[in-house]
Amino acid sequence: MFLYHKLKSYSFLLGLVILMACGADGDNQGTEYAPNMYHAVSYEPLKQITDKDAGNWVSSLDDGQGEYYSSNPLNPYGMNMREPVANTVRRSKNGYLPYRIPKDSLSLAATSLKNPLDSTAAVINDGKVLYGKFCGHCHGENGKADGKVAEVFGGVPVYSSPAVKNLSEGHIFHVITHGVRRMGAHGSQLSIEERWKIVRYVQVLQKQ
Amino acid sequence: MIKRKNNALVPYLLSYPLLIIYLTFLTLFASQANVYAQEGDSGISTDPAIIAQGKTMFEENCRACHAVDRKVVGPALKEVYNRKDLAWITAFVQNSQKVIESGDQYAVDLYNEYNKTVMTPFPFLKDEDVAAIVAYIKDQTENAAVAEVAEGGEGAEVAAADEGSIPSNYLTAILVGLLIVLILILAVLGLIISVLTKYLREKKDLDEIDREVVEQKFGLEKVLKSPGFLGIVVFIFTAIVVKTIIDGLYTVGVQQGYAPTQPIAFSHEIHAGQYEIDCNYCHTGVTKSKNANIPSANICMNCHSAIKTESEEIKKIYAALDYDVATNQYGPNQKPIEWVRVHNLPDLAYFNHSQHVNVGGIECQTCHGPIEEMAVVRQYSNLTMGWCIDCHRKTDVNTVGNEYYDKLVELHDSKDALKVKDIGGLECSKCHY
Repeated sequence: MFLYHKLKSYSFLLGLVILMACGADGDNQGTEYAPNMYHAVSYEPLKQITDKDAGNWVSSLDDGQGEYYSSNPLNPYGMNMREPVANTVRRSKNGYLPYRIPKDSLSLAATSLKNPLDSTAAVINDGKVLYGKFCGHCHGENGKADGKVAEVFGGVPVYSSPAVKNLSEGHIFHVITHGVRRMGAHGSQLSIEERWKIVRYVQVLQKQ
Repeated sequence: MIKRKNNALVPYLLSYPLLIIYLTFLTLFASQANVYAQEGDSGISTDPAIIAQGKTMFEENCRACHAVDRKVVGPALKEVYNRKDLAWITAFVQNSQKVIESGDQYAVDLYNEYNKTVMTPFPFLKDEDVAAIVAYIKDQTENAAVAEVAEGGEGAEVAAADEGSIPSNYLTAILVGLLIVLILILAVLGLIISVLTKYLREKKDLDEIDREVVEQKFGLEKVLKSPGFLGIVVFIFTAIVVKTIIDGLYTVGVQQGYAPTQPIAFSHEIHAGQYEIDCNYCHTGVTKSKNANIPSANICMNCHSAIKTESEEIKKIYAALDYDVATNQYGPNQKPIEWVRVHNLPDLAYFNHSQHVNVGGIECQTCHGPIEEMAVVRQYSNLTMGWCIDCHRKTDVNTVGNEYYDKLVELHDSKDALKVKDIGGLECSKCHY
């Protein structure tokens, strides 16, 4: 009887300790409540659980897979995301078509491309915001190559220097898209329209 | 120069011959350099006006990739006029590719040594401009030793200034010391009391009241068993237990503080904090999509194709991309990097980043906390429904410059600004469907 009482009091303390361990910390995700409402049945982007037995204990389906298993066996590495199918063209509001001039044809781009956006205050302002997010840490707020990253990266030109200030809009667009020399390609981060907006703002910086 | 200073410390007799040897070497080197300079010389000016002109042009055109005393993107330009003559330098600066294509062995070697990095052509720099730049480089090369000494002096001053503040280690030591002194004082006081009581007990001429005070016993047992004390103890114990249970229950299903170890030790503290790279640069989906996106490795390579190439962590990116640093080529055996997702919103709730960041104009830090200070990212907010709803009640809708909201603002005839709750921010089916 005494032992039973003792066990009872200990189980109470044990319960407390278990409750305290519910919180997430470090690599521990913590305890989930109603886990089969937490884990998506559909394939979620940026999420992948490759262990087929994960969540077997809450599984209500007869497919032999754990509740948490989320991985597409048809994709490489079982990934849930795929790149767009080759040669497909994305719909866009203003009907922009993919940019096709290859990286090594910089001079062709420099002479043939025309900016579809006019140099209005709204476009320049959008360009300035995008420039601040995607270019400023190297090229500097005002195109003076004084961004924090430029200090360690090196090789960043000043927009208003003689070698750069007369470069055409097509040249700037091509360089943003494919990169040049040390600069990387930024075409994957910015849409065509966004790139043309940045071009308008860079032209303002070239003239200062 | 530094050597000479050290020599001043060794005995005079010993230092004197050393000094002579040292000076002889110095003179020898200097005269040799002069011979070279004269050999390859096609009139490098020492005119201060031309040097100043060269300085301006160097800073405008060259500084991005070259320094005089160290390798940046291109080689250090120190003594460049000894390596090649002015005509060659001018040709290379005006159009480096032309020189390389002509088959000039030195140019081809240089091109290959620097991983076939193409130097920007500077056709607008005339012969006399390049000469002025070289004059500036020569001036810098020859004055480098002087500059170094000046820098050394500055460094010493900075070191001295650092000694002014007290390190935190000392503060802790002082606190511990004080604590020990206090405990000692307490012990001494206790001793004094016991000695005094003993002395008073032995005295015979005390009256009743005094005796009672001396003989008084502190009934600790009595106090411990008194209902008042027991009541307080039970109350405090119950309160702590209840609080622990409630807190524990509230952490079920809440992943606040989750900070998983990532396959590559990427630090937001360095990238977003120290180098001020905008969140949007890597998390490209944040203004356009439901997800902010975990950046793909090509974004890492925008910088890391060129910097920190020797780091073990960066080599993990190279391994994933099958990238060869020496040849700058990507191989066919590429595989994804398995980052661990930090924020796992339950499937029962819908959340869209672009709606909050692009339309609402909410800063990343409002929900994600001081990311720019986190070496390892942790979930900062608790992401509970109460937390969402609370913000929807308090936050004004970002209606400025968004014609979608014009009619709503017009119809909203309250004195308060239009809040998120007024446009359905508390509707169940907004987030749960």
